[in-house]
Amino acid sequence: MHAKEFKIRWGMVIDVDKCTGCGACMVACQVENNIAPVTPEVDAWAGVAYDASNKLRTLNWLTVYEINNKKAFPEYEVAYMPRPCMQCASPACVPVCPVVATDKNEEGGIVSQIYPRCIGCRYCMAACPYHARYFNWFDPTWPAGMAKALSPSTSTRPRGVVEKCNFCHTRFQQAKDKARQEGGDPNSLADGAYNTACAEVCPSGAILFGDLNNPAHKVHALAHSKHSFRLLERLGLGPQVYYYSKREWVHRLGDNYLPNEKKA
Amino acid sequence: MGLDRRAFIKFIVGGAAGTLFTPIPWKLADDSSIWSQNWSWIPRLKSGAVTADATYSKLCSAGCAVKVKKVGGLAFGVKGNADNALSQGGVCPLCANGAQMLRSPARVAGPMKKDGSAFKAISWDEAEALLADKLKGLKGQSGKVAAISGDGSGTANEVLSGFLAGLGSSAYYYMPSDQTTMAKAWNGIMGGSGQIGYDLEGADLVLCIGADIMDAFGPTVRNQKAIAAKRPIEGDKTVTLLYAGPVRTRTAAVADTWVPVSPDGGAAFALGLANLLIKSGKGASLGGFGEFAELAAKFGPDAVEKAAGVKTEALMTVAKALLMAKNPVVVVGSGSGQGGGVALAAAGVALNALLGSLTVLPEFPKAVSHAPDRSGLLAKDVVAWLADVDAGKAPTPEVLFVYEANPAYALPQAAAMAKTLDKAGLLVSFSTYMDETAALADLILPAPHPFERLDDAQSPYGLGKATYLLATAVAAPEKDCKSTPDFILGLAGKLGVDLGFGAFEDVLKAKVQAIGADWDALAAGGAFVSDRKGSAQADLGASALAKAAAAPKAQGTLLAALDHLNIGTGALATPPHALLTVRDTELYGKDLFVQMCAATAKSLGVSEGAKVKLTAGGSEITARVALNEGVMTGVVAAPLGLGRTAWDPFTKGKGDNVSKILAVSAEPGTGYSVWAGSAVSVAKM
Amino acid sequence: MEEKKGTKCCGGFLAFVLGFLLSVVAGWVLFPGMLYSELDQPIPFSHKIHVEDQGLTCDSCHFFREDGSYQGLPTNEQCSGCHSEVVGQTQAEAKYVQEYVQKNKEVPWLNYQYQPDNVLFSHKAHEPFECTECHPDVAKADKAPKYYENKLSGYSKQTMKMWQCERCHAENGVSNACHVCHK
Repeated sequence: MHAKEFKIRWGMVIDVDKCTGCGACMVACQVENNIAPVTPEVDAWAGVAYDASNKLRTLNWLTVYEINNKKAFPEYEVAYMPRPCMQCASPACVPVCPVVATDKNEEGGIVSQIYPRCIGCRYCMAACPYHARYFNWFDPTWPAGMAKALSPSTSTRPRGVVEKCNFCHTRFQQAKDKARQEGGDPNSLADGAYNTACAEVCPSGAILFGDLNNPAHKVHALAHSKHSFRLLERLGLGPQVYYYSKREWVHRLGDNYLPNEKKA
Repeated sequence: MGLDRRAFIKFIVGGAAGTLFTPIPWKLADDSSIWSQNWSWIPRLKSGAVTADATYSKLCSAGCAVKVKKVGGLAFGVKGNADNALSQGGVCPLCANGAQMLRSPARVAGPMKKDGSAFKAISWDEAEALLADKLKGLKGQSGKVAAISGDGSGTANEVLSGFLAGLGSSAYYYMPSDQTTMAKAWNGIMGGSGQIGYDLEGADLVLCIGADIMDAFGPTVRNQKAIAAKRPIEGDKTVTLLYAGPVRTRTAAVADTWVPVSPDGGAAFALGLANLLIKSGKGASLGGFGEFAELAAKFGPDAVEKAAGVKTEALMTVAKALLMAKNPVVVVGSGSGQGGGVALAAAGVALNALLGSLTVLPEFPKAVSHAPDRSGLLAKDVVAWLADVDAGKAPTPEVLFVYEANPAYALPQAAAMAKTLDKAGLLVSFSTYMDETAALADLILPAPHPFERLDDAQSPYGLGKATYLLATAVAAPEKDCKSTPDFILGLAGKLGVDLGFGAFEDVLKAKVQAIGADWDALAAGGAFVSDRKGSAQADLGASALAKAAAAPKAQGTLLAALDHLNIGTGALATPPHALLTVRDTELYGKDLFVQMCAATAKSLGVSEGAKVKLTAGGSEITARVALNEGVMTGVVAAPLGLGRTAWDPFTKGKGDNVSKILAVSAEPGTGYSVWAGSAVSVAKM
Repeated sequence: MEEKKGTKCCGGFLAFVLGFLLSVVAGWVLFPGMLYSELDQPIPFSHKIHVEDQGLTCDSCHFFREDGSYQGLPTNEQCSGCHSEVVGQTQAEAKYVQEYVQKNKEVPWLNYQYQPDNVLFSHKAHEPFECTECHPDVAKADKAPKYYENKLSGYSKQTMKMWQCERCHAENGVSNACHVCHK
């Protein structure tokens, strides 16, 4: 699919050398986007637990992966890598949707996922190489009373619908409204005027969010750093999320380099 | 002309054709599709003004400065308070879920009294009358009224401990933590005053011995912010972070170097470093330095390798780094955040003194003058006391108050401790949630959720400067709860114990005034930071240290219990949205996973996924094996915080409680209870 | 008998036309009445009294907040600025003060333009338009318009549909990307 050009390109630079894997970003993401806690039931038919420990059933829009250098003690090294939706320049998920429930057509480059239109065929989940899309196998159930006040930023989804990280898109709209209210230009937001929930809450500031095309935003220069890389870069999808690490093994793991393969 | 069958059919067909020219089929199709998108059991969003009110969240032990987000007045989320000097906008995974915990199914709805095996709702007046009646007869009998507090920093402790003192009892204890271990060392054995602090903000080298500063030690958000500020993403790093411990913890994951040290070898490692520093000419102006130098000399590189498993080269590298740094800081603690010995704590103080970075924070003035000194209480040994109660060496309390703590679950040898707690005549829990201790209790008097109540924090342990923070009520109360210090003040009034105040708000206002801070600035979410330093006078206590440091090395496989903040704390089970941050290499279904490296697994005769039984301290747990090369050989790492038996369906019955197998022993020379780095036997099932 | 009836086609055609006309009439005249139920607002609010007599403008009660979001239907916080006690002579106001302000209960106003949760509409982005370009001019109305609730979908008859937003966006050269209007 031909990559669409946008004037603004919302993206992230995630410092893998700073991330401690605490999980605050995952919690903040769920709270912002009204992801219901996984109901504890045992999927008797499949014989697996349907609770939060079964990662095939949880809706981790943002997942913190634990990666390591595959060496034995004491050379073993570990790192943590938060993975949101990559908002690819040429997304694999968009062309396969039979009902155009997902599209990359808005200034800013965020790949939209519109729940009422989705028919739940899950072609997009098969297409995404980052496993960034999640399916509502069941209707969401909140523990009694917890649905009292949901976040007004994201609609609730019924079963049968695919969902994914949307860079807290409602915050983008709110930032634009605030800019208009203050007499500024909604199409030229300052660095930090629009920030995702995960980047906002991170205690070590490992997640940086901003406009990759805007030199006034921190992420612009960082994305071009020699220490930055993207996951599965050679697939050519053009992800808008960059990872930063000064460790060679993290770079090599980011695109499944074989032990003797020269890095591109 | 009659209507025959053909005409009738044509009439019907005409009608059908006609409907196509009306809105009926199109409207019905459209509306049905909308109807199918609006199932009544999918909750709707609320609309209204979105506001963010500042407060201090004490859901995690140290606390996070947060802004509670509300829509139309109802709290729905949390974000950090970027203007607060402590948190600088960061939030820990527990406080990030604070708004949801307001409505947790585990919340206690109101005061409850145990009736047989179930709980019966009673009124606050009835509860007060019941307690007043019981306590009247116990006035003046030391040890008959006792309290255990899990809040290491709140002024509410002054109210509760002052109340106990007014009743003639000094049996006030804090739940074990790195803070109490250090108090035992600094305020106890070493005779120091004030609270040990760690100036991470000014450091150019931070050596953590056991203390998992990014995950389990002290104010984790401030620790992360302080280190991150000195390691800008592009630019020069101005701090080197070293982690010394048995497991590659989250701190080790981002550290520059991980020095594997066996779980019981921290003190030997620290003394070995002290020895090298002294030999290089460093000195410390603490009492008993000569004796201490002699003790340190016994910990040459070979002795350290034997006791701690650290190779000479690694020891030398760390010592060299400490000597070359301009402002090195050594943070000592335990990966489990509790159970460490005085030996390591004192050695840590000595190291900082040798390096010229000993920071002591002065205590803030008390608001309740009758209350005993905080540092004295922090140095008391709750585990030893409960063991004495069990053995009949100390009187069994007739009334035992439990405030912001969950001792039946979180104390070492938890199963035995729970039995001892049950012996108390009237076990009163002030827990907001139905935790394991509340489930055992005879009376539950629920305190409001941190967002619903007035509270404070005095220098949460781990900070580098004396800091005071205020928490105000920003959410409307969801249940029939009462602030614990307010309840105690009312009770005190009924029993003729004069604490000098009628309401907790007055206590805090007096406190703020005594400190010289501005109430409004604190209520708006600011932190009061003082540059005043405490007195660094103390005695190194080498004689007690010598015995403690010479303790025989534990045999067999050692247990490294790990405290992960996202799994919860002793007093707070995993919040609902933090459940999926627990890895499937820690918990899967109902199975707890323990971590060990391949070499350890081989020597124990187990493989990945094998079911094992871990036994220690007279208790056992079952788990499965996960291979993790980040765990030292001869060590098994296990996550704390699982295996809940109360709370809610999300956390109940998942995994097992590792606190059960934390085996307690008495530290030679100091007599304090220790359990960090205890042995465990692992058997294949 | 096998005689062919001459009037067969005319009689059949008439039945067809009759059925056709009847269903068209039913569809256009009877159906809306069946599909929608007429509801009244919980408090009979009069814009006329507030605008003409009291001299208020649209944005006295319907205004933009500091963060750019829109205060659509006012809450008790706004109304009790004047109505914390009964200040007028009408029964409607007395009912409002007694049953809502004094009991600290918000009025469950029926929102004519109630959109589902997945729709994001920003009044701020539409500020250049006059209020009356999209909303009926109720300033002079003494009675609130009738609320027609769709019995099947639960939404109001006036709730704008997606094609209406899309058309105006297309006519004004504004993006019709999904995320512009959905959340």
